[in-house]
Amino acid sequence: MTAALTLEALSKRYGDFQAVRDLSFQVEQGTICGFLGPNGAGKTSTIRMILGLQSATSGQIDILGADDGRKVRDRIGFLPEERGLYKKMTPVDAIAFFGSLKGVPTGEGRRRAREMLDTQGLGESKSKKMKDLSKGMAQKVQLIASVVHRPEFVILDEPFSGLDPVNQQGLEAVIRGLAANGATVLFSTHVMQHAERLCDKVVLLARGRKAFEGTVTEARATSPRFLELEGVIDAEAVAKLPGVTGVEVAAEADGVRTLKAALGPRAGGQEALKAAFLGGLDVRRFDLREPSLHDAFIALTGDHPDTDQTATRAADAEAAR
Amino acid sequence: MNRVLLIARREYLAYARTVGFWLSLLAFPLFAVLGGGFSVLVRHAEPVRSIALIQEAGAGPAAGSLAAIVRESIAAEQARGDVSALRRAAIPEAGVAAGDRVRKVAEAEGYDAGLAALKTEAPHAGAGFKRPKQALRVVAAPPAIASAPAGPARDDVIRRYLTDKTPVEGAPLSGVVILSERGGEPAARLWLARASDARVEDAIRDALSDANRRAVFSAAGIDPQVVAATDAWRPDVSVFSPRSATGGEVSFRDRLPGAIGFAFGFLLWSLIITGASILLNSVMEEKANKILEVLLSSASATELLTGKVLGVAMLTLSVLVVWAVLGGVGLATGLPDMARDVASVLLSGGLLVYFLLYMIGGYLMYAVLFAAIGAFCETPRDAQTLMGPIMMVLVVPILVMQMALQNPDAPVVRILSWIPFFTPFLMSARVPSDPPMTEIIGTLFGMFATALLMVWLAGRAFRAGALSDVKLSWKAFARAIRGGGE
Repeated sequence: MTAALTLEALSKRYGDFQAVRDLSFQVEQGTICGFLGPNGAGKTSTIRMILGLQSATSGQIDILGADDGRKVRDRIGFLPEERGLYKKMTPVDAIAFFGSLKGVPTGEGRRRAREMLDTQGLGESKSKKMKDLSKGMAQKVQLIASVVHRPEFVILDEPFSGLDPVNQQGLEAVIRGLAANGATVLFSTHVMQHAERLCDKVVLLARGRKAFEGTVTEARATSPRFLELEGVIDAEAVAKLPGVTGVEVAAEADGVRTLKAALGPRAGGQEALKAAFLGGLDVRRFDLREPSLHDAFIALTGDHPDTDQTATRAADAEAAR
Repeated sequence: MNRVLLIARREYLAYARTVGFWLSLLAFPLFAVLGGGFSVLVRHAEPVRSIALIQEAGAGPAAGSLAAIVRESIAAEQARGDVSALRRAAIPEAGVAAGDRVRKVAEAEGYDAGLAALKTEAPHAGAGFKRPKQALRVVAAPPAIASAPAGPARDDVIRRYLTDKTPVEGAPLSGVVILSERGGEPAARLWLARASDARVEDAIRDALSDANRRAVFSAAGIDPQVVAATDAWRPDVSVFSPRSATGGEVSFRDRLPGAIGFAFGFLLWSLIITGASILLNSVMEEKANKILEVLLSSASATELLTGKVLGVAMLTLSVLVVWAVLGGVGLATGLPDMARDVASVLLSGGLLVYFLLYMIGGYLMYAVLFAAIGAFCETPRDAQTLMGPIMMVLVVPILVMQMALQNPDAPVVRILSWIPFFTPFLMSARVPSDPPMTEIIGTLFGMFATALLMVWLAGRAFRAGALSDVKLSWKAFARAIRGGGE
């Protein structure tokens, strides 16, 4: 499969601060790639370098055959993390304007805008001003504005942030639709569940470095399966069960604990359960759980994806700038 | 349509479609008309004040009755007003020399002869001339006041007349003047219907000064008529200059360039600051609404900056064209001859081209600077850090331009004209007065070189600011320029 995007040893430094370090990965044409990492991990800096909004300190970028995103900007659609549109414009005018900047004639842009707004259930808001739309509606309009020119490559920076669950589902459908129509989609997020449901491939980023590149299944495989045990049980006793490599107390209330017992690579879990019952442990509920992408992220990076690294890293970056 | 034009069009329409834009567009000419009209209205609406004169028994300078002198003095003041109005009316149409000729006739032969002279010298002005309204009218004191014994009793009668507004010769009294002599010098007590009416007081002070002068000269053996004639005399001065339009006598048209230059300099200052401020607010709005990053993914920073600068330039130009058309039509209708002179000044010596060049250079310098500042700001408070010092510097050309109106070649004006940030305003004020070509070319070169440098520097700062969250300061601004957006 041909790569729509290739990054090779990409680095970005702001003064003394290293925002992105030796980042290399590929995104194949027509696939959905999740670019995952906590806030402040370097995702936005990478995206800006891909788009040509900022130059890389070192490394190579190849996007749609060009070495600079600016050279193929008409073939790229971009939804930034911080979103906004002209408050006094109508959705149709705003979408047509951004489409025109990407080479879509204004008349055609307006036609497409009306069509896409209808599809997204915003038909009745077409002639309202942007300032009169709800946040969810405005975000949909901005997404439409970023893809109205039918781009070959779509970059969405934290597209799910600020959306309610219903709109998040709608956005997932839009992303699938884009890929189904042949577009390559790279979206960044720190919420692993979206990536789990959508992505053909994920790239995990932590503290400016790539921690993993591969499919969701491959990512999960890097993390152990685990037994979830609930009862009046002692963590040390669980740790001694066969196949268990580590124990973590997930919850505790009124003497009843929920323990997560990580299993070794070849452990099936049955031996551990059998030993627990034979050993007389007061297990009231048990569950054998496959690792999630969230678990994989923690296993791979040692960081929690919901931990905001912005406070530490971005503040350093701005200070360095 | 390319991106620059698309951005320019959006920028233009975003403002041109607002009610506020049209209000501000029409506000200037409207207020100019209202301001002018209001002062005329006030002048015309001012009532003729009726005053009664009472002379205390025994008072009066040796030259004659003090009341008669005051009456004469008020009449003479009215006549001087007529003469001055006749002269002023003649100048725009027929020039300063013609105005002086009309003045002489009016002084020597009276108002009617002066009006006839005006009609000869300046037919348009003469046909439409209206005699200035009489400010003061001296009426005979009502018998009740005149016959009342001096002192509190008479004051009571006067007070009643002024309070009741009892008509005297068809109008209520504005004041009663009791003339007297204290220590051999003319004096007066004024009773006024309105305590704040300074007009009557001023007129009486002038009249008493006149009376005193006559008395003093008379005591020195000088005929009062000689004194009056000496006071009324005006020198007949003709001004010639090789740089006048005719190469000889200086006319009103020759004095127009200075005024036009000042007007253009001021207009340019207003338009440039307005345009640059619109740009600052526009970029600030895009920054605050998180639109800049999307725009930068769709167009280069240069295209974006150029488009925005162009859009606001078109907006500013629209304002200028509307003002010029309104002003031109107004002038051509009201003062056709002055309009002809203004047009001839503007069309001579490539003046309009110079104005256009100074406008382009000035606008470029300030517009890109303000846009770059806007890229770092989300609120006007953010922008204050940098805007404060800039606005303080911008006051300088306004002050110096007033100096240029009097003396466009004053050393300080010439020196400051070479500072590129002042060049557009000061040279616009100076260029109608025909400064040396070396100064015109030199300052234009300096201004455009600076404008290009500003475009380059501001472009770097704009790119950096658009994607940055740093708090704006001169240090951050300088660092952004050095870093060029990185």
